[in-house]
Amino acid sequence: MDFLSLDNIEKSFGAAAVMRGATLGVREGEFMAVLGPSGCGKSTLLQIAAGLMPPSAGSVRIAGRAITRPPPEAVYVFQQYTRSLLPWRNVRDNVAFATEHRLGRHRARTIAEDTLAQVGLAGFGDHFPWQLSGGMQQRVAIARALAAEPAMLLLDEPFSAVDALTRLDLHALFLDIWTRRKLTVMLVTHDVDEAIYLADRIALLTHRPSSISDIFEVDLPRPRDPIATRALPRFLELRRTLLEKLLARPDA
Amino acid sequence: MPGVALLALMLFALEWAVEARLIRRALLPPPSVIGAALWDLLASGDFAAPLLATLWLVFAGFAIGSALGIAAGVAMGWWTGVHRLLEPLVELLRPIPKAALVPALMLFLGIGEAMKITSVALAVFFPVLVNTLQGVRGVDRVMLDAGRTHGWGTAHVLRHIVLPASLPFILAGMRVALGLALVLAVLSEMLSGQGGLGFLILDMQRSFQVRLMYAWLVILAVVGLVLNTLFLIAERRALHWQPANRP
Repeated sequence: MDFLSLDNIEKSFGAAAVMRGATLGVREGEFMAVLGPSGCGKSTLLQIAAGLMPPSAGSVRIAGRAITRPPPEAVYVFQQYTRSLLPWRNVRDNVAFATEHRLGRHRARTIAEDTLAQVGLAGFGDHFPWQLSGGMQQRVAIARALAAEPAMLLLDEPFSAVDALTRLDLHALFLDIWTRRKLTVMLVTHDVDEAIYLADRIALLTHRPSSISDIFEVDLPRPRDPIATRALPRFLELRRTLLEKLLARPDA
Repeated sequence: MPGVALLALMLFALEWAVEARLIRRALLPPPSVIGAALWDLLASGDFAAPLLATLWLVFAGFAIGSALGIAAGVAMGWWTGVHRLLEPLVELLRPIPKAALVPALMLFLGIGEAMKITSVALAVFFPVLVNTLQGVRGVDRVMLDAGRTHGWGTAHVLRHIVLPASLPFILAGMRVALGLALVLAVLSEMLSGQGGLGFLILDMQRSFQVRLMYAWLVILAVVGLVLNTLFLIAERRALHWQPANRP
């Protein structure tokens, strides 16, 4: 039983067709990566999955229910932390953002402190986002999503706006959280290494108007290691196959 | 400091020009004489009542006009239907110099406080409205989507995302409006012929008490300066998170 199912999703903006018949299922507890060339509509697909954007046709189901608006089970994590965090709120209140409308400010702040500790930001509650590095700001964004205690996270290239070493750091942190919280994850990315390193399965999006062309099993052992896993023959083989697919000309 | 030096120099030049009879004393007494009149006014305490009357007009009109301007601006910026409904009306009324409406307001509201506060509020309303509207329309989609994905309702989004995100625009509008508020307060006092700094300035001129007229003018100038400075300080505090205001 898929936790998230996207069935024959179509999307056009005016006359431009962006998505044509994309179908994808994400199993409960699974880490699914969606890989595609830039401009193929990865974010569009993810926003449709999150209930943030209506599809032109097709249906989205999360936990068995058809989705027409953002469901409580899934939270979207944005690529640009500089735009999704509220600059007038300190770090604690940015995380409290996730629950304050349901639980009240006081309770939300307590949860925020706990969640910040889990992403390694204990003691940073009083800082403002601009006082933190990019990697730390993205941790705040992740903490905010986790504070809502969703069953599923929808990640829109959340690791792409930070430097390479910070990215490895965030990968490790995120895999750890994913394991502990038994989350279902859908990650869109254009980074092949990242997709293989993190995911259980990788779905490949074609050029526009896009659909899912292939799904690859990433049968690499867990827990994964930032260095050893990347040196495994299976990792290299997958990397080669995926890059070949991605670099192929649209009509080749 | 060079600005203060220039100011002092100009005062000395005026003093000299009047003494040298380049300017008629009846039109402009030397600054030292105005200063003495001002001192008497301050020492006697007679300045307080008219000053408070004018400040009250500015404050009440500014508060009402700002509140309504923000509310209308948010509604127009957020709901396209409201924008379509109100935009022609706003664009028709906005360019009218609000001073020109004071005589009409006097027909409806008389010459008392209601008319004066309404004049001030009208002058404040439009710049605040237009700036708020612009701010609301410019709120980053990503921020709004962040609210939606966490299940925020419209009221919560408006209060905790849209309003604070538009605040730089709203406050810029209010700063412009504050200057206009003072103008309309003084003008409506002059036209109504009673109370406050505006009336006194006109009354002193008509009764040939030119020294006092200038003394009241100085008080008015200081009021404008103080109000603007206080507003700037409040604005910088409220927008402490903006790049320009960071330490």
